[in-house]
Amino acid sequence: MALKMTRRRFLQSASLAAATIPLSKVVSADSSFTSGEFAAPGSFKDTKTVYGGVCEMCFWRCQLVGKVRDGQLVKLEGNPKSIDNGTALCARGNAGLKLIYDPDRLKHPMKNVGERGKPKWKKISWDEALDACAKGLQKVRKKYGPQGVALWYHGASAHYPTAFFEHIGVPNICEPAFYQCRGQTAIAMLKTLGYVPNEDVDMANAKAMLLIGTHIGENIHLSHVRNFITGKLRGAKIIVVDPRFSASAAKADVWVKIKPATDTAFLLAVMNYLIDKGIYNKKFVKESCNGFAKFKKGISGMTVKKAAKICDIPAAQIIEVAEILAKNAPNVAIHPGRHATWYGNDFQRIRAHACLAALLGGYDVPGGIQNINRMSAGHVHWPEAEFDDDYDPEDFALAEMAEKYPFRPPGTPTDMIRETMITGKPYPIKGMVVWGANPIKTFPVQDETKKALKNMDFVMVTDVSPTDITMWADILLPEACYLERYDHIEKGTQWDCSAKPQQFIAPRMPLVPPMFERKDPVWIINGLAKRMGVGKAIPVKTQEEYVDHCLKEVEDVELSIAKIKKEKGIYIQEGESSYLEPGDVAEFNTESEKIELYLEELEEEGFSPVPVYTKVPEPPRGYARMIYGRSPVHSFNRSQNNAWLHHEIPENPVWLNDELAAKMGIKDGDRVSLENQDGVKTTGTTIVKVTPGIRKDVIYLAHGYGTDNPAMTVAHNQGIDDQSMNTRTVIEPETGCCGMRINFVRLIKDGKSISIPA
Amino acid sequence: MQYAMVIDLDRCVGCHACAIACKAEWSVPTQFGRNWVHRLGPAKTPHGLSGTFYPGLCNHCDDPACTPGCQGEEAEKVFTDPKTGKTKKMTVLATYKDPFTGAVLIDRDRCVGCGFCVEACPYQARYIDEDLDDPRADKCSFCVERLAEGLEPACVQTCLSRARIFGDRDDPKSEVAQYIKKGARRLDNKVVNIGPNVYYAGNKRDMHLLKETCTPTEMPEASLIEKRVLLARMGKSISKGMGLTGLVGMAACTALASETNEEDE
Repeated sequence: MALKMTRRRFLQSASLAAATIPLSKVVSADSSFTSGEFAAPGSFKDTKTVYGGVCEMCFWRCQLVGKVRDGQLVKLEGNPKSIDNGTALCARGNAGLKLIYDPDRLKHPMKNVGERGKPKWKKISWDEALDACAKGLQKVRKKYGPQGVALWYHGASAHYPTAFFEHIGVPNICEPAFYQCRGQTAIAMLKTLGYVPNEDVDMANAKAMLLIGTHIGENIHLSHVRNFITGKLRGAKIIVVDPRFSASAAKADVWVKIKPATDTAFLLAVMNYLIDKGIYNKKFVKESCNGFAKFKKGISGMTVKKAAKICDIPAAQIIEVAEILAKNAPNVAIHPGRHATWYGNDFQRIRAHACLAALLGGYDVPGGIQNINRMSAGHVHWPEAEFDDDYDPEDFALAEMAEKYPFRPPGTPTDMIRETMITGKPYPIKGMVVWGANPIKTFPVQDETKKALKNMDFVMVTDVSPTDITMWADILLPEACYLERYDHIEKGTQWDCSAKPQQFIAPRMPLVPPMFERKDPVWIINGLAKRMGVGKAIPVKTQEEYVDHCLKEVEDVELSIAKIKKEKGIYIQEGESSYLEPGDVAEFNTESEKIELYLEELEEEGFSPVPVYTKVPEPPRGYARMIYGRSPVHSFNRSQNNAWLHHEIPENPVWLNDELAAKMGIKDGDRVSLENQDGVKTTGTTIVKVTPGIRKDVIYLAHGYGTDNPAMTVAHNQGIDDQSMNTRTVIEPETGCCGMRINFVRLIKDGKSISIPA
Repeated sequence: MQYAMVIDLDRCVGCHACAIACKAEWSVPTQFGRNWVHRLGPAKTPHGLSGTFYPGLCNHCDDPACTPGCQGEEAEKVFTDPKTGKTKKMTVLATYKDPFTGAVLIDRDRCVGCGFCVEACPYQARYIDEDLDDPRADKCSFCVERLAEGLEPACVQTCLSRARIFGDRDDPKSEVAQYIKKGARRLDNKVVNIGPNVYYAGNKRDMHLLKETCTPTEMPEASLIEKRVLLARMGKSISKGMGLTGLVGMAACTALASETNEEDE
């Protein structure tokens, strides 16, 4: 028998001889790769492939499969049938495995027997938890009316709950994904184009692309990244406008090192130049745009020379950009942008994106913004509710009452709900429901959010993980995660617009059942509805019924969960090209049936009908503007406790210009914290990245780090929280969205504040 | 035949998918990696500002520094050429280079966890999880186990932008060979010159930054390694096993080592 050599025996022999001893013993011949019990088996050995996953590590929703061994998920992979992400998944998608089995995840319903913000948790049963939620909400409703309850939500699991809360008359519902992210992008596009293109821009087939602050590469949305890189490989000229040498700028032909908050001036100057030189797409403007003459006049003040000064860039560079775009029109990808809540004047900037693409004719042509035809699935509706005393929730929608924010995205601006929670004006809001959102990290001015939450009679929170908001719950409910439940129905097309047109539909289906006492939203809400006396109105009994219903409403094809399972998670059918046929004229679903270069509706509401640049306050002496962006391995705060992702990029370095650093005596890798204009300091510390790749008037860091909740044992206090520096915000008058790049910071090293040199 | 990988930095966006897919595929402990992604820059280069990435993994070198000093037991193994099916019998240590594919592999059941190979690699491509009771070396296998099942390496399969290209360097028709022909380069120099088989392609500025900052500057020296590794590991293993915090000299170490060993049996 072969000598069984162990590490300890080896060390013993080695130490006795004080040298290495050759140990030549022949063991049995072995031609297989795996070496017994000591080798990992790999995901392909003795595993079952489970189809039907739809990712929610971010909101791009790649389609995936699970490799399952003995009932346990061992790996996630892209669904080979996917025409969107294929077999690929990003770091976060792959790391879903560490979310599902994260020991810190919420496991049982819990009651807070301590204080809000300083919780002490007591494990309770679902019966106790739902009874307490029903009682808490009913008490508020009885005392203050149905308008006394508000909802902050995020993600697909909140759709059924949101419909329920609407049914019981909750008038104020807010999704941070709109008011702190992409709300005004959607509305600006809707008003200008008549539809919301989201990020349907055909970069893969563009001859030139323009990205304003968009940092693909740090912002990883799988097929979007693939589109960008494919465009680059196919020879597109890439222009990136950013105060920082971002991952996208590093791939660009032209980096416009713009002064932050001046992007609209830049866009206006480019448009003026195109018009002045007569190198805009005259045919497209004539056929498909409305109000060109008034638009031309309206923007004429922003000359190249003026913009160069405002943007702190060479005039020649503005001209260079305009010439590249004109030369490659109409096959230009003017990226619509995504997260746009920067300065409180962002609606106008996004309008400028749309108008520039219009001047170039970059719509529904290879490379342009596309109006993509996806399949549509049904919805589950709660019946129209009847209320006592002629109560109408619309009468209590705060923005309507205040007659403010006429161009707001769906729902009530965050800030209005929060203010009402604090002041009780125009009526008291005393019950707060949070479903899947993390308002502590998403909303600026954290102290106000905390104050508002303290002022509640009842707070109910549902989540997957113990995020910072969960510390403020009275009752905390554990939800099944995206790998354990049915909900969202993903609809899309082939990722490359120039490829064979196809459409797909992929409902989210569980890969493994939930563990502990985690439940899906239909189960939770139905339990709550019954206890609140509206059990008769329940539209579906189970999550399966919910998804089946949505699938059955898909037109022209009979779909069901059973059918999708047979189709290995994705149903695919022939689609139609988003490109215009030669000779066709692009049509837009606006009032004029054209792109609204000049938007009268804005004028009627007292805003500028053509995109306009407004100056925002400059940093005070000794401070720089704080801007933030994404980490490629994180979806803001929600993925921070993922051990694998944390290991890849454990903290968020503060980017500091190299010349400034030299003057400040700061070296690459130094440990610092931040202090803002109001003297507020970050709780934790992080490292400095000293680089020539950033302007001197800006400090940059990735958003989402610096988790407060010690129950997140991986993420707690790792890196610093950029949101904690946003002690001020500015609310955009058009939309009610928050501006979050209006705060200024300096560094603290070894307890000493270090000013940013002029 | 020699398996090789090309990483196209023009395509790579630094998303870390490769690193995480590998972790899942091979149950790699959180704190280690069979591969990695390091962000480089933005930094000045003679060709302009560069911001790029160092996606690294075992180089499966032509002349590996990690295999000759292996302290594991020898074994006779039968190797098979995946292309022709031809076989070859060879006596190898616990870590060895496959005579057909050129993949450098570890038979973990024969690894004794001495850490020699970990220290010998100038690219730091191997790791030992010291927290295990019976630690053994681990590293990238080019996913030969997956290849045998007709699958791509896990990192290649998950790559968003097809930045990782895998194949046979010696087959002129392979995409890998085409890249090499067009000038893909490896992280070597006059000092570290052991024939790495991971190649990098990219523009001048990114390649400059990568080569300047990520090419190892020296070969770990063998005798030094032996001494350091053995002492360090012995100390660590023993102090862990006996709950001691410090070392009290060689004699004590030896005594403790044999005691620990007896407990095992």
